Amino acid sequence: MDFRFSEDQLVLVESVRDYFSGTHGPEVLRRLDVDGNRDPAIWQALVDMGLTGLCVPEAHGGLGMGLVEAALIAAECGRVCLAEPLVDTAFVAVPWLIAKGETDKLSAIASGDHKVALPHVLNPWVADGEGKPQTSVDPLRNLAMFPASGSNDDRLLNLGALMNAAQLLGLADAMLEQAVEYAKIRTQFGQPVGAFQGIKHQLASCAVAVEFAKPVVWRAAAAMQDGLETAPVHVSHAKIAASDAAMLTAETAIQVHGAMGYTYEVDLHFWMKRSWALVGGWGDRSYHYKRLDAAVLGGSIPIGPEHTFA
Amino acid sequence: MKLGFSPEEELFRAECADWLNAQMAGEFRDIKGISTLTEKAERRKEWEQHLGAHGWGCIGWPKEWGGRGATLAEQVIFAEEYARAGVPGRVNHIGIELAGPTILTFGTEDQKKRFLPDIAAGNTIFCQGFSEPGAGSDLASVRTKGRLENGSWVVNGQKIWTSLAHISDWIFVVTRTEEGSKGPKGLTFLMMPIDQPGIEIRPIKQINGDAEFNETFFTDATCPEDSLIGAVGDGWRIAMGLLAFERGVSTLGQQMAFRNELDAIILDAKANGAASDSLVRQRLAKAEIGLRLMRYGALRMLSNTDHSKVDGAALTYKIQWATWRRNLGELAMDVLGQAGEVTDNADYEWTMLPNLFLYSRADTIYGGTNQIQRNLIAERGLGMPREPRGDV
Ligand SMILES: Cc1cc2nc3c(=O)[nH]c(=O)nc-3n(C[C@H](O)[C@H](O)[C@H](O)COP(=O)(O)OP(=O)(O)OC[C@H]3O[C@@H](n4cnc5c(N)ncnc54)[C@H](O)[C@@H]3O)c2cc1C
Repeated sequence: MDFRFSEDQLVLVESVRDYFSGTHGPEVLRRLDVDGNRDPAIWQALVDMGLTGLCVPEAHGGLGMGLVEAALIAAECGRVCLAEPLVDTAFVAVPWLIAKGETDKLSAIASGDHKVALPHVLNPWVADGEGKPQTSVDPLRNLAMFPASGSNDDRLLNLGALMNAAQLLGLADAMLEQAVEYAKIRTQFGQPVGAFQGIKHQLASCAVAVEFAKPVVWRAAAAMQDGLETAPVHVSHAKIAASDAAMLTAETAIQVHGAMGYTYEVDLHFWMKRSWALVGGWGDRSYHYKRLDAAVLGGSIPIGPEHTFA
Repeated sequence: MKLGFSPEEELFRAECADWLNAQMAGEFRDIKGISTLTEKAERRKEWEQHLGAHGWGCIGWPKEWGGRGATLAEQVIFAEEYARAGVPGRVNHIGIELAGPTILTFGTEDQKKRFLPDIAAGNTIFCQGFSEPGAGSDLASVRTKGRLENGSWVVNGQKIWTSLAHISDWIFVVTRTEEGSKGPKGLTFLMMPIDQPGIEIRPIKQINGDAEFNETFFTDATCPEDSLIGAVGDGWRIAMGLLAFERGVSTLGQQMAFRNELDAIILDAKANGAASDSLVRQRLAKAEIGLRLMRYGALRMLSNTDHSKVDGAALTYKIQWATWRRNLGELAMDVLGQAGEVTDNADYEWTMLPNLFLYSRADTIYGGTNQIQRNLIAERGLGMPREPRGDV
């Protein structure tokens, strides 16, 4: 067991994070909110960094990377509350198409010319789909009515749930950071509110939840990548842990901001609403709990002293 | 201990229910079931006047000031039937629950005459000008200045988060009237008419897209010299007295509204199958217990007739309901599942349960945050040592 990432993986994540932090601040979200949610220039930049082709095999013009790298980048997308449908197209659809042996669209995806929105029966809407638009609580999310039919494939579900979990990690990190920064500068009673234990302890609890959710998500990504039989259980665990961490952090971050956190004018709400939307997608908490309890009680997770629980 | 209601009280309940239901089926059916405080504001003001004209404006107040001198039990009953009939929240709740009782307790005869009948009649809508950009939890650090000049108070500064200022006629303002004073000293409680050139109101958009609260700017705003409640420099005592009224009878009516919300969630859970999920079932049961805890707790608190002294139990009330409702918002969204994430409206407008989720994010913030409530319970209720604070 080794949870360390390779030098290449770290460099990749860092370059994406640097790029986003220089170009994709909250002012971009504000602009998109006013201007129709999607911006071809942002999409093109993602293409130029090779992210649309991250999981596309080199033979089809991509970088040929795996789900661990994809999950790490999905977390960065969550961190900046990216609105473009990169994760759904490049990290959910691409691995699914490859698994099904459908390779004809891959090079068009890598070059950024083709986006894929996949309907799954567990999702009542399709994000960035073609159908009649629906108004989402997340102002930057484009939802379309569910089409006449959709897939019920478990692998697709697992990919979707894994990538939502990964995005939720980044969202939670970002909300925690916003709350910590606010607690340092907002003063009441003659001191920063972050100096009060009632605030510090709550934020510390969020950090505990987020830090413990991270390796669970990475573990799930590796399990999917390696095609482990237990991968669905790892994915469900990841989805629940990341959802809980993100929702706790969202709630706490609003609280720490006081009335400011309840406004549309403070950026936090974009992250909170994205978290809310992603928590529900690709199987909600109770769906994934059911998969877990079935595994724990149904024997697919073996128990007893002769087994480990990696 | 006498639990339950007498036959006379049940008759009164029927009278309330009949009247309220008739209004909601008749002249005011267009406002039935509205769950925000801003929708159809003008009609809601007419509703306040309609209530007043029929003697239902402020039933707990003495008759001479436009009330009915209703008993506590009757007030509870009215509040319950009000929510049960699907009547939307009172847009003058600050006038009725905060300004009115404050004037009744601390005001002069003249002020009572000037304000109380008009509040009861629904003609005077009040809002609350306490918070400032730099003074939220630390209310005593307000900086809005007031000074007496030629028989008028002249006020300069800024308030923020002023709920419903845009539809209000009057605002009560905590001002610093003693130059150079700090903290709770040197504050004065003023009542000011809003419609004047010196007061400017700018809406602040909330997370649900609505704009219920505002920034309120004072630039040489004025009010007559006798617009203060209590004495000059007595503002902190009055403000604290006012906040104590927040724990009044209104909380019981609020619980019936909570009942409606929980019932809606239960019905949805049954309809969409969420009720077959064991996690959801237990959380619904927990929510039911929480609601009953609050109900019995509030009844106990209100049965305590000596309201002059704040006991430890009363201090526990706000955090209890606020936390319960914030959790209820989360439960509602888990029951609705992804259906809670969308609205049928093309605009960013939300139906009851998604709005409940969004609105309940603020419950643990306004009226004293959960952290401040815990400090109050620990320091004032339990007598624990005060947490060190910075130099104010
Ligand atoms: C929907 C809504 C309606 C409102 N309506 C009105 C209105 O009509 N009129 C009005 O005057 N005000 C109104 N308010 C303002 C409300 O009273 C304040 O938001 C509240 O007092 C908290 O102040 P703040 O927002 O400045 O947060 P801050 O005081 O800045 O608090 C930020 C964070 O620090 C924490 N904190 C502060 N002090 C301490 C401490 N000593 N120990 C531990 N933690 C601490 C808080 O709990 C919070 O989590 C409204 C607010 C909301 C959300």
